[in-house]
Amino acid sequence: MSSALDWLQFVLAPQMVNGLSIGVAVVLMALGLTIIFGLLDVINMAHGEFYAIGAYGAVALIGLGMSFWWALALTPLLMAVLGYVTERGLIQRVFHSKDRHTLTLLLTFGVGIVLEDVLKIVFGANPLRVEAPITGATELVGLFFPNYRLFVMAVGGLLIVAVWVLVFRTSLGAIVRAAAFDRYMSASLGVPISRVYAATFAFGVALAGISGVLLAPIYSVFPTMGRDFVLIAFSVVIIGGMGSIKGAVLAGLLLTQVQSISSLFISPVWNDPLLFGIMVLVLMWRPQGLYGKLGNA
Amino acid sequence: MLELRDVHSHYGLSHVLQGIHLRVEPGEVVGLFGRNGVGKTTVIKTIAGWVQPTRGEIVFESRILSTMSADQVSRLGIGLVPEDRRIFPGLTVEENLRLGFMQAPGVGRAEQKRKLEKIYQRFGRLAERRDQMGTTLSGGEQQMLAFARVLTGAPKLLLIDEPTEGLAPMIVEELFTLMRELVDEGISIVLVEQNVHAALELTDRFYLVERGQITFSGDAAEAASCAELVERISV
Ligand SMILES: Nc1ncnc2c1ncn2[C@@H]1O[C@H](COP(=O)(O)OP(=O)(O)OP(=O)(O)O)[C@@H](O)[C@H]1O
Ligand SMILES: [Mg+2]
Repeated sequence: MSSALDWLQFVLAPQMVNGLSIGVAVVLMALGLTIIFGLLDVINMAHGEFYAIGAYGAVALIGLGMSFWWALALTPLLMAVLGYVTERGLIQRVFHSKDRHTLTLLLTFGVGIVLEDVLKIVFGANPLRVEAPITGATELVGLFFPNYRLFVMAVGGLLIVAVWVLVFRTSLGAIVRAAAFDRYMSASLGVPISRVYAATFAFGVALAGISGVLLAPIYSVFPTMGRDFVLIAFSVVIIGGMGSIKGAVLAGLLLTQVQSISSLFISPVWNDPLLFGIMVLVLMWRPQGLYGKLGNA
Repeated sequence: MLELRDVHSHYGLSHVLQGIHLRVEPGEVVGLFGRNGVGKTTVIKTIAGWVQPTRGEIVFESRILSTMSADQVSRLGIGLVPEDRRIFPGLTVEENLRLGFMQAPGVGRAEQKRKLEKIYQRFGRLAERRDQMGTTLSGGEQQMLAFARVLTGAPKLLLIDEPTEGLAPMIVEELFTLMRELVDEGISIVLVEQNVHAALELTDRFYLVERGQITFSGDAAEAASCAELVERISV
C-alpha cells in the first residue's frame, strides 16, 4: 500500500508536472496554429521553424548581453513583426488564388525550409544551450519541483488564459471570430480584413516564439528543433478540432500527460506511434475533432 | 450619388452581370426587381465590393469603387443588409451590433455607447436580448439585428437585399415602416424585394433586371410603368 503511494508521489506526480510544463508550451504552439487556421484557413507548415526562431531569438538576445527576461519579453514582439511581414509579403500574395489551400501549404512549407537553413547558416548546426534564469527547486507536498518548470507552467497558464480572454471576451476577439466565420460580411461592416489576417498570423507566430523561448532552457536549441515539436502541436490541433481554441487547450494538456505518463511504462520509441495512434482513433470517432471551428462557438 | 456604368461581373467563367447601368440620387429609394437568378444579388455584391467587376465603373460620390475592397466601400458610408441576414454565430446580439462600429472608425467609446443606446431604444426587442447569441433570435429579430448592425455606422446609402424573405406579414410591415423612417432620416436605399407592390410604395424609381442586364426602368409614381413592371416580372 505505502509503496503504491510512494510510487504516486515520487514517480507519477513529478512526471505529470514535467508533462504539464511541456504541455503548456505545446498548447501555446497549438493555439497559434489553430487560430491561424481558424481565421485564415491556412495550415502554417512553418510553425515549427517559428518556434525554433523564438528559441534562437532568446539565444541571440542573451548573446547580446540581455537578460533572459528581456529576451522573453522582446522575442515575441520581434516574432510578431516577422509573422506580420510573412503574411503581408508572402501569404497575402497567393491568398486570393483559387488553389490557395495548396499554395499556402506549399508556401509555408517552403518558408519553413528556408528559415531552418537560415538558422543553420547563422548559428551553425550544433545544439546551443540557454541557461535557466531560475534555478533550484521548490518543495511541494514532500516533493521537489524544479523552479523553472513551475515558472513555465505559471507563465504558460497565464498566457493561455490571456489568449482565451482576448478571443472570447474582447471586441478585438469578436472581430476575429466574426471574420473567421464570414469574412465578406465582416468586411462589409468595415473590418479591415487583410490587416486582421496579418495581425492574427503575427499573433500566432508570436505564440510559437514564446513557446520556443520558454522551452529553450529545458531542451537544447538547434535548427531542426521545431520538427518533432510541431508534429505534437499538429496532432493536438487535429484532435482538438481544427480552429478550436477549447479543443487545442484540452487536447494539448491531455496528450502531453498521456505521453509523459506512458513513458513510465513503455520505451520512448513508442511515444510517436502512441500519439498518432490516438489521433487516428479520435479521427475515426469524430472526424471533425473534439470541438468546432473558431467562428462557430 | 451612386452610378454604375456598364458593369460586368463573373463568377469564374459564368458571365452574370452583362452591362448594368444604374443611378441613385441622394435621398432616393431605388428598387431592383427581377425574377430568381437574374443577378440582383450580384449587383448588390458588386457594389459592396464582394465581387470585383470585370468591366465597367462604379462611382460613389465621385470616388471609384470598382477596385476597392469591401471594407473600404463600407467606410465610405455604403451599408449592407445582405440576403439571408448573415448574423454571426457565436457572437452575442451586442457583439454583432458593436462590430458595426468598424464602419466608422475613430468614434470614441462614449459616442459608441450613446449610439448603442439609441439603437436599443429603436429596437426594443434587441435590447432585451442583447446578451443572447445572435443566431438564437427569430428570423424577424435577426433581420432587425441586420438593420441595427449596419445602422451603428453612419451609412449614407443602404444596400438592402430581400429583407422580408420568409417573414410573417406583421414583421414585413414593421420592416417597411423602418425603411420609411430611414428614408426620412436622409438615407438613400437600393432595395431588392420580391414583394413588388409593397416595395413600389417605398421606391422613387425602379430597375428591372433580366439575364444580367437592366431591361426596363421607370418612375414608381407612374401607374403605367408600374403596371408594365409587374406584368414583365410575372410573365
Ligand atoms: N457564388 C456563385 N458562384 C457561381 N455562380 C453564382 C454564385 N452566386 C450566384 N451565382 C449565379 O449567378 C446568377 C445570379 O445570381 P444572383 O444571386 O445574383 O441572383 P438573384 O437575382 O439575386 O436571385 P434571387 O432572386 O434568387 O436571390 C445565378 O444564375 C446564380 O446561379
Ligand atoms: Mg438574390
